[in-house]
Amino acid sequence: MSSDPLKKRKTKVIRSDGGTPEPKRVRGEGDQDVRTYNEEVELEGRDPEQDYALYKNTCEALATLMGEIQELKASGAKEGSVEVEAKRRQGCVHFITLKKLNRLSHMRLKKARDQTHEAKQKVDVLHLQLQNLLYEVMHLQKEIGKCLEFKSQHEEIELVSVDEFFKEAPAEISRPHLTRDDPHQLTLARLDWELEQRKRLAEQYKSSLCTKEKILKGIELKKEYLSSLQPGLQAIMQASLPVQEYLSMPFERVQKQAEVARHLPPPLYVLLVQANAYGQACDDESDSDAEEEQQNTKRRRGTVGVQLDDKRKEMLKRHPLSLCIDLKCKDGSVLHLFFYYLMNLNILTVKAKVSASADLSGAISAGELLNPESLLNCLYANDDGQETPNPTNRYQFDKVGITTFADYVTDLGHPYIWVQNLGGLQFSSDTPQVEVVRSSLSASHMESTVKLLRGRLLSRLALHKQFSSLEHSIVPVSTECQHLFPAKVVSRLARWAMMSYQDFLELSFAQHVVKAGLARETDLFFMAVVERGTARLQAAVVLNPRYPEITPLFSLSLLWKGERSGRTDDNLRALESEVNVFRSELQGPRPGLQLLTNQIQRLCMCLDVYLETESQVCDGSEGPREFPREKMCLRSARGPNRLKPFKYNHPQGFFSHR
Amino acid sequence: MGPIELLHMSVFSQSFSPCGRFLAAGNNYGEIAVFSLSAALSPDATDASQKPVLTFTAHEGPVFSLLSTDTHLLSAGNGEISAWSWAELGKKNTKAVWTKRPDYKTSLEIPEINAMIINTRDNSLVVGGGDNNIHIMDMETGTFKSVLQGHTDYIHCLSLREREGEILSGAEDGAVRMWDWRTGHSVHCVEVYKYEECARPQYGKWISCVATDSDWMLCGGGPALSLWHLRSMSPTSIFSLSGCQREAVFHQDLIFAVGEGPYVSHCLLGGSVKAQIPCTPPSLNTLALNLGTTEHRVMTVAGSSNQIDVFTNFSYRAFSLSF
Repeated sequence: MSSDPLKKRKTKVIRSDGGTPEPKRVRGEGDQDVRTYNEEVELEGRDPEQDYALYKNTCEALATLMGEIQELKASGAKEGSVEVEAKRRQGCVHFITLKKLNRLSHMRLKKARDQTHEAKQKVDVLHLQLQNLLYEVMHLQKEIGKCLEFKSQHEEIELVSVDEFFKEAPAEISRPHLTRDDPHQLTLARLDWELEQRKRLAEQYKSSLCTKEKILKGIELKKEYLSSLQPGLQAIMQASLPVQEYLSMPFERVQKQAEVARHLPPPLYVLLVQANAYGQACDDESDSDAEEEQQNTKRRRGTVGVQLDDKRKEMLKRHPLSLCIDLKCKDGSVLHLFFYYLMNLNILTVKAKVSASADLSGAISAGELLNPESLLNCLYANDDGQETPNPTNRYQFDKVGITTFADYVTDLGHPYIWVQNLGGLQFSSDTPQVEVVRSSLSASHMESTVKLLRGRLLSRLALHKQFSSLEHSIVPVSTECQHLFPAKVVSRLARWAMMSYQDFLELSFAQHVVKAGLARETDLFFMAVVERGTARLQAAVVLNPRYPEITPLFSLSLLWKGERSGRTDDNLRALESEVNVFRSELQGPRPGLQLLTNQIQRLCMCLDVYLETESQVCDGSEGPREFPREKMCLRSARGPNRLKPFKYNHPQGFFSHR
Repeated sequence: MGPIELLHMSVFSQSFSPCGRFLAAGNNYGEIAVFSLSAALSPDATDASQKPVLTFTAHEGPVFSLLSTDTHLLSAGNGEISAWSWAELGKKNTKAVWTKRPDYKTSLEIPEINAMIINTRDNSLVVGGGDNNIHIMDMETGTFKSVLQGHTDYIHCLSLREREGEILSGAEDGAVRMWDWRTGHSVHCVEVYKYEECARPQYGKWISCVATDSDWMLCGGGPALSLWHLRSMSPTSIFSLSGCQREAVFHQDLIFAVGEGPYVSHCLLGGSVKAQIPCTPPSLNTLALNLGTTEHRVMTVAGSSNQIDVFTNFSYRAFSLSF
C-alpha cells in the first residue's frame, strides 16, 4: 500500500505535465493563479453519471478502433503504416481516459468509505449515551420504590384512636390547629401522647410492685405466727386421742377416711359408702355381735412393677387409690379384701388375703384352700373372675394385642362380677356402654355378698381344720352327726391328698364326671384312699369352690380281687350315689360344714357293708372269709341289680335298702 | 333333678303304651317318664323330642317293674302296685287310678316288687318280689286271690307259658320254678346252678332272667345264660356271655340278652353269640321290644344311666332318649 501514494504522486506529476485537455480547460478558466493541480477538488466537481457515460463511449470507441486496425491488418496493411499509427494514437488517448476514470472511481470509493465510518462513529456515541440514561432511570425508580417501602418503627406502636386522642390529650400536645389537617403532625402528636401515658403507667407499676412486696411480707409474718401455733395444737390433739378412744368416737379416723374418700373413683366410692352403711346397720342389729363388723381403711399408692408394653401398661393402669375392706368372723379370723379400679377398662378387681386366728400350718392338701388366687372363685355360680365382665374391653384388648385378661389376674386381681355389682357397675351384653354407677345396685348385692364371703371363709377354715386331721387318717365326726354311723367302722381312711385337674382328667374311673361337665378347672380335686384288709377303695373327689352349697362329688374305684369301678359294678355305683346324692342326711348342723367328713365316714361305713356282704354272697370263695359279717343286714341283696343294704338305721343299728 | 342325680340315675323298667306311640320308663328315684316315640322317630325330631313329655313321681322306692294293659300302665314300687290310665297320662294327669298292696307278712322292711306279668287266661296279675312269694291278683275285683310259696329267696323274674297254663319264676335262691296257676302248686323246680355246664360259682347262683317260647326256656343270671328244652328239662345250649344277664327275650329265631356290660347280645339258638351291639349305659337292666304296631317297631334298652337307647334297626343304636 505504501507504493500506492507514490504511484498517485507519479500520476499527479504526469498529469500536471500533460493532463487531459478538458480539466485543464476548466481550471484554466476558473482560477488561473493556482498552479497546483488538485485532483480531489476536480473530483468534487464531476458527476459520476457523466463519468460512467464517458467510460462507455471510450470503451466503444476503443473497440471500433481495434476492429478497424484488425480490418486494416487483414486487408494487408503493413506494420507501422500511417493509418495504423493514427489509429494507435487514437487508441492511446482512449486508454489514458480510461486510466483517469479508474483513478477517479478509486478515489470516490475511498471517500465514500470515510464518510460511512464517520457516520458509524457518531451512531455509537449516541447509543452509549442512551444506555447510560436508561440505567440512571432504573436506579432512580429503585430508589423511589425503596423509599415507598420504608416502615417506620412508630407504626408498630399501638396508639389510641384519633377521636380518643383529641378527647383526652391536653391541647399543648394535641395542638389541634396544626394537626387537624396534617397527618404527619397528627402522628407525631399521638406518639408524644403515647409516650406520656406510658411513662405514667410505668410509674404506677412500680408503685404496685412495692405494695405487693409489702403484702407478701405481711403474709409471711402471719404464716409464721400460725405455724408457731401448730405444735401446741398437735399436743392438744394427741392428748385428746385417749379420750376419743375411750368414748369410742373415732372422729379423727373417720375424718381422715372421708378426706381420702373424696378422691376415690366413683365405683370404689360407692363400694366404700355401701360397705360403711352395711357395717353400721350390722352393728345396730346385733349388739352382741359387736366383733362382726367391718372396717374400712384406705391404703398406699398402687404399685405395678410388671414389665409390660407401655400401651398395655397404660390400658391396665389402676387408680392410685385402692380400698381395703376387712371382714371379721366370730372366731377372730379376718378376710382382707383389696379392691382396685382399672381406670381405662372401667372394671373393679379384687385381691384377697386371709389372716386366721389360729395357726394353720400343717395340712399339705389344704394349700389351695386359702390360696388368695382361688379363694373367691365362683362365689356366685360360674363367676371365676378370669375374664373381664365389660364387653367393650375385648375391643380395647384387640388394639394392644392382649388375648385374655386371665394372664394379668395375678397382678391386677380378679374382676369378679359381684365386685362390679358391689361397685355399682353393671354390664349387659345388649348394651355395651357402661351404665352409670348406681348405688342401689351395690346396696342390693351387699348383704348377700358379704354373707357369701363370710360363708366362704368359714367353710375354707373348717375344711382347713378337717384336712389336717384327714391327713393323719382321722375322719373327724362331730357329736351331732354320731347317729349317722354305727359305732364300729372298720375301714380306715389311709390317704388324703391333693390332686391336679390334669391328673383328675386322666383317671379312668372318673370319666363320667368329666363327660357330664361336673369337673371344672376352678374346682379342687382330691384323692382319698380307704382301706380295709386287702381291699383298697380309691375315691376321686371334686370339691366345688361353692362348697358346702355344692356337694363334693366322689368317684370310686375298688381294688380287691381285680379292679372294679362305679361303671362296672352296680353296687359301687350305688355306693357313689349314697355319698353324692343324699347330702341332706349328711350335712349336719347348718351351714353344713361337716358335709365332706361325713361323706368320707359314710364311704368307710359303706365299704364295710360292701365287703362283708360280698364275701357272703360269693359262694365261690373258699377258706375262711376275709371279712367276717359284723353288720346287721335285713337282706344282703335286693332288686334286679342285687344292691347291698347301704342305708344305716340309727336307733336299731341295722342296715337296709333305700 | 340336679346333674348329680342324673349322673346316678338308673332306669329299671320300661313299657310301651298299648297304642305303641309312647314309652314309659321307671328309674331308681321312683319317677316314671313318658316319652313320645312318634315324636322322637319323626323325621323332624329335635333334641327336645328326646326328652320326656311327662315325668312324675310314682313311688317312693325305685320303679322295678312296669307293665301295660289295654288301657292302663301298672307300676310296681316298694311293695305297692299303682295303675295309671294311659288316656289320663296323655292329658298329663298323674293321679293313680288305684294302688294295691299284696299282704306281706314281714313288717321290718317292705319287700320290693321285681316282676309283674298279666295272665290273660283268667285276667289276673302275677306279682313276684322281695318276700319270696308270688302273689296273684284278680284284675276284675282287685283282690289278691292266691299266694304261691316255695322260693327261699327273693324273686327276680316271672314268665308265662300260656298254652300250658304255667308260670315260671326265677329267684335269688338259684331255682327256676314252674307253677300251675290253677292249683297254685309248684310243678317243677330246676336248680340251674347245679348243672355243671351252666354254673358260674365266681358270680353266684341267682336267676335274674327267664323267658319262654312254647317248649323252650331261657334263663340266666349268676349261671350262664342257657336255653332249655322244657319237656326233657335239660339245657340244650349255653351262651358264653361274660357278666350276668338281666333280661333276655326271644325274637324270631334270635335271642336278645342284656346285662352287665354296655352292649346288647344277639345270640343264635344254637348257642353262638352272633353280635354284641354297643350302647350308652355301662350296664343294662331292661330291654323292651315294641312289636304291637308296625310304624314304631323299635327296641329300647336302658340301665345304669339316665339315657334310654333306641334301636330302629336292631343292629345299631339310632339315638338315645334321656330323662
